[in-house]
Amino acid sequence: MMENNTNTNFKLDSKIPSGPIEKKWDQHKFNMKLVNPANKRKYNIIIVGTGLAGASAAASLGELGYNIQVFCLQDSPRRAHSIAAQGGINAAKSYPNDGDSVWRLFYDTVKGGDYRAREANVYRLAQVSNNIIDQCTAQGVPFARDYSGYLANRSFGGAQVSRTFYARGQTGQQLLLGAYQALMRQRNTNKVKLYTRREMLDVVIIDGKARGITGQVEKYVADAVIIASGGYGNSYFLSTNAVCSNGSAIWRAHKRGAFFANPCFTQIHPTCIPMSGEHQSKLTLMSESLRNDGRVWVPAKAGDKRLPHDIPENERDYYLERIYPSFGNLVPRDVASRNAKLQCDAGKGVGNTNLAVYLDFAHAINRDGEDKIRARYGNLFEMITAEDPYKNPMRIYTAVHYTMGGLWVDYNLMSTIPGLFVLGEANFSDHGANRLGASALMQGLADGYFVIPYTIGDYLARMTPFEKVETNHSAFTASEKELTEEARKMMSVGSRGKRTTTDIHRELGKIMWNNVGMSRSEESLKKALTEIPRLREEFWKDVLIPGKSEDLNVELEHALRLRDFLDISELIAKDALERKESCGGHFRQESQTKDNEALRDDENFCNAAVWEHKGEGKAPIRHVEELKFENVHLSQRSYK
Amino acid sequence: MSEYDNNGMTLFLKIWRQKCCSEKGEMVNYTVKNISADVSFLEMLDILNQDLIKKGEEPVVFDHDCREGICGACSLVINGEPHGPEVLTTTCQLHMRKFKDGDTIVIEPFRAKAFPVVRDLMVDRTTLDDVITSGGYISANTGAAPESNAIPVRQENAELSMDAAACIGCGACVAACGNASAMLFVGAKVSHLGLLPQGKLEAQERVHNMVKKMDELGFGNCTNEAECEAVCPKGIKLTNIARLNREFAVSSFFKKNDSGTKQEWS
Amino acid sequence: MGCCSSNNNKFYYCSSSIGKKQLMAISAVMLVGFSIAHMIGNVLIYFGPKYINLYGYHLTSNLLLPLAELLLASIFIVHIIFAVILVVENYLARPVKYHMKVNSGRGANFASATMPWTGAIMLVFLIFHLINFRFGTIYMTSYDGIEVRDVYRLLIEFFSNPLNLVLYVTAMIAFAFHLGHGIQSIFQTVGINSPKYTPCIQKLCLLLSLVLSVMFSTYPIWSYIKSIQ
Repeated sequence: MMENNTNTNFKLDSKIPSGPIEKKWDQHKFNMKLVNPANKRKYNIIIVGTGLAGASAAASLGELGYNIQVFCLQDSPRRAHSIAAQGGINAAKSYPNDGDSVWRLFYDTVKGGDYRAREANVYRLAQVSNNIIDQCTAQGVPFARDYSGYLANRSFGGAQVSRTFYARGQTGQQLLLGAYQALMRQRNTNKVKLYTRREMLDVVIIDGKARGITGQVEKYVADAVIIASGGYGNSYFLSTNAVCSNGSAIWRAHKRGAFFANPCFTQIHPTCIPMSGEHQSKLTLMSESLRNDGRVWVPAKAGDKRLPHDIPENERDYYLERIYPSFGNLVPRDVASRNAKLQCDAGKGVGNTNLAVYLDFAHAINRDGEDKIRARYGNLFEMITAEDPYKNPMRIYTAVHYTMGGLWVDYNLMSTIPGLFVLGEANFSDHGANRLGASALMQGLADGYFVIPYTIGDYLARMTPFEKVETNHSAFTASEKELTEEARKMMSVGSRGKRTTTDIHRELGKIMWNNVGMSRSEESLKKALTEIPRLREEFWKDVLIPGKSEDLNVELEHALRLRDFLDISELIAKDALERKESCGGHFRQESQTKDNEALRDDENFCNAAVWEHKGEGKAPIRHVEELKFENVHLSQRSYK
Repeated sequence: MSEYDNNGMTLFLKIWRQKCCSEKGEMVNYTVKNISADVSFLEMLDILNQDLIKKGEEPVVFDHDCREGICGACSLVINGEPHGPEVLTTTCQLHMRKFKDGDTIVIEPFRAKAFPVVRDLMVDRTTLDDVITSGGYISANTGAAPESNAIPVRQENAELSMDAAACIGCGACVAACGNASAMLFVGAKVSHLGLLPQGKLEAQERVHNMVKKMDELGFGNCTNEAECEAVCPKGIKLTNIARLNREFAVSSFFKKNDSGTKQEWS
Repeated sequence: MGCCSSNNNKFYYCSSSIGKKQLMAISAVMLVGFSIAHMIGNVLIYFGPKYINLYGYHLTSNLLLPLAELLLASIFIVHIIFAVILVVENYLARPVKYHMKVNSGRGANFASATMPWTGAIMLVFLIFHLINFRFGTIYMTSYDGIEVRDVYRLLIEFFSNPLNLVLYVTAMIAFAFHLGHGIQSIFQTVGINSPKYTPCIQKLCLLLSLVLSVMFSTYPIWSYIKSIQ
């Protein structure tokens, strides 16, 4: 099966510079062509998305002198879902003097990603991590500080050093506001034009290069397009993503020729508030930093329904500490999530649904006092409304949280469409098969502040002169026609249909969670691959959309996103089926060690699976980018 | 354990419906049944919308996104209070256990000249972005930053700055204010940046430009009633407005930066 | 709405929202100062006609009086004009009113919400007061050969009418509310707010407004009692 649609002849050029890994980025920066400062104002760049990656890119490129048009789907750029990241941002500053270094951050990230990320990209990420902290501090991000006035750190999963910088439980918010303010500063100088409440529906390609985007009624032209629209976790309907987060921008780009890498690498976060009811619209994450002081446990006996206080110490199973003595509660997310699932599968789950485990702060409160714990986590605890976490252990469970997969990009963050760059969660490059906590913020800002400003200049300088293009170009008109046709078709179904978009999306989510969730098998994936096309057919026959397409129509917007989620979900399942190994967040039941750990197959799958769209209704083609590990030794990941 | 766990609540809703900015709106009555105490307020509206859609009517439009109280997209004035009756809580985190079976709930958009209605309960808060654009930032170009521990910051100031920086830009302060004033929003940003050594350099220009922009955009004036503080889901304090007042007065009459450092950023 | 839109001078300050508020606050400080002086001066009523009449005589015979009166009048006018501007601006800031709006109970109170109304009452009262006393009937009397205006007689006569008494005491209730929010508000407007001292300042302000309004109410009441004796 794999042999049939895997294309090994096609060579994906990752453009990784030669030379020792420590020198690659510096040498590459020197080798890149530059755009003369006076010429920068002649270039127009479109940026889709205003999260950490998009906003930081827009600000930095605006500072350099380019003309930027930036788009976001909410009413303000500050609403992007980066804002919800809680715990912190990693950097190799080694302020605590605990043995951290760029190399160690690089190593931890590659290992945490279960050896499915590109070494060169990860090394660059670790290298610029320190600049990010400097930059954010200069922008006025109020990072936590010690009494001395110097920056404070905390620990996060997958690392044995304290390298996470934080601003209470709102680090993402503060970093995003820093980038947002930098963006607004450029808006004040008119270098950045802001377009809110807009969704990109198509990338326009002229002469093989990305030259603009189209939405429902508008067209915008540029010399390069940057997509920083985040991940596609809402394929699962219930996730910790914002309700409006969607995968449409990357999917539309994929349909125009941008290859999609490792779609099956989705991260399930271990510390979320457990699901409660049928009408739930989303799941809420609680920062992983809680695992710093909280201990995870379940009753040792299956089916023990006593209240947590009535279960004596010796009848509790602190399973993470038991199985992974050296990392304990701070194992990476995929490991923590899978173990929570295993405990619940074994009948030890707690709460009404039996789908939760305890996260207990009693020991930390005894050790440090309630005040200290309150100061550290107070605002995280506020989210738990039902019980008092200072008295009772809180219940947590897993939820879809992040997608490591995304559009394939080379070392310059350019997709397979020349002139189309992809930043942040929307690309695939840095996290392999599992992202470590506090690394998403790092990657988004690294891409936006410190990578794209260099690499886009190189592209623009090399491609000059650009042919002058207007929005009346035939490619724009064609794109607009397709979109109008699509909306018309959807509305004609929608006016007669019976199932609401939410209803269909919820069903898609169930198919995905049950079959392409934390644990996948050939059987479950094949099941998903029959159910998703069935649901898509139903969607096109029976979706119900009230109102008109010309008005502000939130149901039509949702339908358009859902249509893309259906396609993305199918690709996730396909990719998961093809990857017959377990690695990081992708766990195949057929491929596990004796103690139920993910078992990689480096011989066949030490690669990134890169999918090419071949047109509506046609099977996509799977290419591979072989991953070479020259600096980190490939080994069975162990957190014991 | 709520007494409504098994049989859900029936609620009578009065919701503002308005096609678009230029059309007149009106309050429309709806009834929702079987609402569990565990669903959130927005999920209750989701349920209403599902009913409406199935009946072929257009759903009630409202802004929302993260649904975990941090993005600031959700709004609504519920029974006369922005973000509803629960303190320190955004609408998306408000749960129906706050209401009783048979309650009538009045739901309106945030109202202010500076927040025109887009549709139904959705308003345009671009004016808040415009205020930030006028000066709510520190002018630090990418790449030029010094080592972050080179300038220690008093922990107390960092904490106060963080208190102010917690603002989510939802606009509830404007909605609650009898005068639709944005002073708490502006005060929070001025405090967040002005309390840090990095932000001191531009503090005077920042205060002036932001206040000027705020005035231009048609927000009202502060009358120190503290309704903004009372409804703020993030507990932003009135002391931030006092700081804004103080800095505005001082910078109006005593220009600290007439020479020297001013060159760097003017 | 402002009087000048230029950014780089003091006129901009006067047209800015915060500037207008602060000018109101500063004029309010002076008006409160005047009220305190007025209140203390009036205490002399209790010592008998001679004291209050001679006090009045010394006050009015001062050559600087017209100047002081002009100053006081301009302070009043500044306070009133900015109040009107702000009220109008604030009204316009919310063109479509709420269908239902309640105060949280943790912010606005009756006093703060009725500032424009109590202010308007004070303005009407002020005019009424000036007509009746500053420009009222002039009775003369003399002490040790000095001809002085008999304010005492005017007082007793004026407040012998219970309607006047009721009007004055009502105005003083409005005065209490106006100052109750107003005085403490001055501190916030000029930027004095500290978690440590503000609760204390607020209590003192409340006390001051109570003392002022109660003391000012006692004069008409005392005069009325005197008149019926």
